[in-house]
Amino acid sequence: MPLRNKKPIIAVLGMTCCEGCRVAIVDLGERFLKLAGHIIVGDFPFIQEHAKKKSFDLTFIEGTPILPSQIEEIKEIRRRSKVLVPIGACACLGGIQEIKNYRGDKENCLQYVYKNVDQIANPDIKPISAYVPVDFELTGCPINKDELFEFTKKILAGDVFRVPQRPICYECQRKQNECLLQKGLPCIGPVILGGCGAPCPSVGYPCDGCRGPLQKTGKNFDNLKKILNNHGYNEREIEMITERFGGRDQIENKLKPQNTNENKN
Amino acid sequence: MKIKIDHVAKIEGHGGFIGEIVKGDVKAAIFMVNEGARLLEGILRDRHYEEASQIAARICGVCPVVHTLTSIKALEDAMDVAVASETIYLRKLLMLGQIINSHALHLFFFSLADFFGDKDDLALIKKFPSYTKNALQIRELGNFLIDKIGGRSIHPLAAEIGGFKKWPTEETLNEILKMAQAALPSAIRLANLFARLKYPDLQTSFNWASLVNENEYAIYEGKVRWNGKNEEEQIISEGAFMKLINEFQIKANPQTKRSHFEEEPYLVGALARLNNNASLLNLEAKKILELSGVKLPSRNPFHNILGQAVEIAHCVEEIVTLIGQRKELKLSKVKNAQWQPQIGRGYGAIEAPRGLLFYSYETKDNGDIKECNIITPTAQNIARLEEDLKAWLPDLSKKASRKRENMIKMLIRSYDPCLTCATH
Repeated sequence: MPLRNKKPIIAVLGMTCCEGCRVAIVDLGERFLKLAGHIIVGDFPFIQEHAKKKSFDLTFIEGTPILPSQIEEIKEIRRRSKVLVPIGACACLGGIQEIKNYRGDKENCLQYVYKNVDQIANPDIKPISAYVPVDFELTGCPINKDELFEFTKKILAGDVFRVPQRPICYECQRKQNECLLQKGLPCIGPVILGGCGAPCPSVGYPCDGCRGPLQKTGKNFDNLKKILNNHGYNEREIEMITERFGGRDQIENKLKPQNTNENKN
Repeated sequence: MKIKIDHVAKIEGHGGFIGEIVKGDVKAAIFMVNEGARLLEGILRDRHYEEASQIAARICGVCPVVHTLTSIKALEDAMDVAVASETIYLRKLLMLGQIINSHALHLFFFSLADFFGDKDDLALIKKFPSYTKNALQIRELGNFLIDKIGGRSIHPLAAEIGGFKKWPTEETLNEILKMAQAALPSAIRLANLFARLKYPDLQTSFNWASLVNENEYAIYEGKVRWNGKNEEEQIISEGAFMKLINEFQIKANPQTKRSHFEEEPYLVGALARLNNNASLLNLEAKKILELSGVKLPSRNPFHNILGQAVEIAHCVEEIVTLIGQRKELKLSKVKNAQWQPQIGRGYGAIEAPRGLLFYSYETKDNGDIKECNIITPTAQNIARLEEDLKAWLPDLSKKASRKRENMIKMLIRSYDPCLTCATH
């Protein structure tokens, strides 16, 4: 899917989420401005009053559809985008809003928040790939902006971009962090796709899987669970961690791993 | 006359406007928030106390620091955790980084174009290359500070109940100090640009509320001061205030709650803080305010933009002062508070970039979340914004439709609404 247009048209759009991933794009700062000189920013409502173009060579999309209009919109966006790339844990895994699915009491959640529940959309939360085919995914909560930048550069040059299939532990060890799992903390880094630079374990916060699982976790998740059980964490406590960013269904192989991780030519 | 704006760009989240005027009477002025409900309070129930503040942070990617910290404050209140002064010191630094970060985004990338008729920031950036550099430098300072103290610039995670998971080194604080000293001239320059802008002269009468604290320009802690439009005032604790807020829904836009206090809308945010606390601003910030010629208390909602500009300078000065004074602190020797999970009920409030943010929690005996409520700044400001729009529409209805639409958008943006926060 390389973009060989002279000036490719890129859009940055969003569904319901915290919008941190588009902030991360703006946080590229000078690099963003430089990049913007080589492309046409087709639609980026964060910095533009009106869309410049209707069709895009490359669309980054964050968030999950919740409103009925968003469920329509994502299909529309797919039609108008040559390459569609969901970004962030919400778009790739479901995000924190998917916790309600796992709880199994979404009506109760709705009634807890609102006295009047009429007309308030409350669908099951699904990643973008459950609604439309996607071409690549850049996950994390938030995304790693450097990864997105590298991806964009590569794809504009017609190169292949891969997220190496290495667990969080790879980067964590290179930073010479003390292993939190060995310390008895509930870190699920061994089965989670690296590429974030391991910011969480670097401050003593166990990895909670915002980037979703490695493509092939094999028996590693079962082994990890055994270690966690031995540390005293029960099944439910482990589930609560894998559910936090919506990745439990992917980690438990009930849904295909979202990180396809290779753009095909 | 019906006025419909489907989408207001350059705000945080998706929103539009619907207005209706019949024979000079404004029948409707509704800020339509088009965000799905993520049901945060619903999903926070039964979650572990350690993760609650990280889940809460995901309410907003523009101001995650304030959600994490307010959630932590409310849990500390619920479980009787008293933190060390060094913890408060670091949290204040995080708050300062958050405010300059968010304000720089709003002022430069969202609002400034309204004053020059540009529709695209990329055009604005070409027109003002050196102000662009200033804005990026300020954001970089904010990001660097939050990254180094909080562990990540978006969704920081080092702060926890009782203290910090990891304390920054002296070297890190020195780096932040150097960056802040270097960014101060940029902050002043950018703020001066906003001090010299001509703001639309919209005088409305409104109530406002902010934290107050006699020792400082309140951001992290204090009592809530509410000012009524007839010059009455109340100063009460954050928990007492939160309990008195009346959150309600409207039929046209039910998923985004509105809020009243004393049965009326009220303003929160930079202008409310300026109206209450301007005497406690740092020196350069005071000069910028003076240059603007604006007399306080101001009742012009557009001055929220000016307030944010003044605060950018104030906060950068404050970072320089706070780190400059740190010699008495020995961060390497600080210990987190000792505490036990317990049944309790607690409240927390903070001055988010967009205004007062409230959290309340009830905890179970193991510390898990039993009950939870979150009232965000924008959920408080929307009712106020709608009153302003109502008051302004008769005037605006006399203008050409494109001009009218631009003015409505400009007023909406001056509030710096965050719709993902408002709906959560």
